Amino acid sequence: MLEVRNLCKNFGGLAVAKNISLSLKKGERRVVLGPNGAGKTTLFNLLAGTLTPTSGSIILGGRNITRAPVEKRARLGLARSYQKNNLFEGLTVRENLGLAATTASGRTASLRCCAHDGAEMQDIIAEVAEQVGLSDSLDKPVSSCPYGNRRQLEVGLALAARPKLLLMDEPTSGVGPNMIDAFDKLIHALPRDLTMLIIEHDFDLGFNVADSITVLNYGEVVFEGSPEATRQSREVKEIYLGDWNHA
Amino acid sequence: MFYQTSIKTVCVAAVTFGLIAYAMLGGYFAREIVIEIALLAMLAIALDFLAGYGGMISLCHGAIYGVGAYIFGATTALSGTDPWLAALAAIAGTALFGWIVGAITANVGGIFFIMATLAFGQMAYVIVFESRALGGDDGLAGVGRFDLSAVGVNLNDSLQFALLCVAGMLLAYMVAATVLRSSFGRTLSGIHANEDRMQALGLSVRTHKANAFAISGAIAGAAGMLAAQHTQYISPEYLVWTLSGEALVVVILGGIGTLAGPVVGAALLVTLEHFIGGYTDRWHMFIGAILIVAVMAGRRGLFGEIEHRLSRRSETKTEAGIHA
Repeated sequence: MLEVRNLCKNFGGLAVAKNISLSLKKGERRVVLGPNGAGKTTLFNLLAGTLTPTSGSIILGGRNITRAPVEKRARLGLARSYQKNNLFEGLTVRENLGLAATTASGRTASLRCCAHDGAEMQDIIAEVAEQVGLSDSLDKPVSSCPYGNRRQLEVGLALAARPKLLLMDEPTSGVGPNMIDAFDKLIHALPRDLTMLIIEHDFDLGFNVADSITVLNYGEVVFEGSPEATRQSREVKEIYLGDWNHA
Repeated sequence: MFYQTSIKTVCVAAVTFGLIAYAMLGGYFAREIVIEIALLAMLAIALDFLAGYGGMISLCHGAIYGVGAYIFGATTALSGTDPWLAALAAIAGTALFGWIVGAITANVGGIFFIMATLAFGQMAYVIVFESRALGGDDGLAGVGRFDLSAVGVNLNDSLQFALLCVAGMLLAYMVAATVLRSSFGRTLSGIHANEDRMQALGLSVRTHKANAFAISGAIAGAAGMLAAQHTQYISPEYLVWTLSGEALVVVILGGIGTLAGPVVGAALLVTLEHFIGGYTDRWHMFIGAILIVAVMAGRRGLFGEIEHRLSRRSETKTEAGIHA
């Protein structure tokens, strides 16, 4: 589904991504771990197209998208949710989901009828709202929603795009334990053929939803393996806790 | 997001009937005012479509209006083209002009977008001003009018021409409202709310912005085409950038992002101009003061304020109903 080979990104003399390679099978759920500044969001920006790599290649579903623009990648089925909420402010939850679902379906050009209000899109809106727990808030303006709801909507916008590959950047950042549980359930309830790459800071959640784990540090892949192997890995412990032998 | 609320329908209908009544009951001078309001409202509708719903504050709409007037005026005056064909050319030409400006400026944001559009407008002005074939700064006389004698309408009659302009205004409103309610319009509002997210969802933002600019340009061009028929004379004055500024004043005075606001704003501005102008030559000063008040007090404009208050009242009513 996704094939990343020797991806590098330099900002002047600073290498923020060094030779990153990873491969995701269809339906695989990969969690990306790593301390702050490890290059996790940079990797997402490279995959989604907001940054262009210095070298290396990205293959999505057999197509080389290394230099493809953001919207083309999205049309090939890539959707992302952001670390910081990136919503349509000033509109309601329903309008937000409607924009996401309709835009991703490509029905944006008609000058007469409104696909956003059509039955097909309303079905997607209702379904996604149910998935992310916003069914009761559909007609609320986003600006009056509490932070937790806005976080749910952030993930909802990506889901409403009906993606094949979903990139989620810290979907549970800043929310309480109840919502982390709810998110755990949400991930498990999603169709098994949806490929996911998730940046997560909550270890329990990460280990719980992952099929496999990639650990980044200083822009490099330092570990890749099953959740169990990651838990046991001395290297990973050292990254997070420091080298105890030298302490 | 645009919704054709009943408040909008009532306000646009009230202004339309007011203009028709004033044109019918008043004399020649009243009809001149009605035409001025209707054409300014068309231009402001075009601008509000783009600025209020697409977030693109253009300062070349005055020039697009002028280009519409020139395409119509020059083709009818110089080559005697059929006015209907010339009108079609004016609308298509201004749509193309708008599309080009939109495509080139799509990635430019904020103040730089405003400056870039101003530059395009000034280029059009200079080209017209320097062109001998188009009469240079003397302009061109002998511009034709539509021939509607087949349906019993004589457009050389001031009343009937004024009514044509009011019909043009209403049509412009309906076209803009229809497009804003469509998938295209919703998507435009989405770009206004969060351009990056729309792109991340798969939208080609540049194409969509350029197409919106084309639609807005066609409406502004149609207004200019009617203006050329009105005066039957065209000059570079039609492309002066202050007209873009006046359109923006109308949009803000009436309420940006409301579509009905420009209609109300145009009626208000022109009426004030003539009313205050009857007492003093310094009417600009009073309009300026009113504009400052409008911007300071809520930033909604006249129509925006009315809509806000009425919708708040109906909300409190429903809430009271629930608690009762």
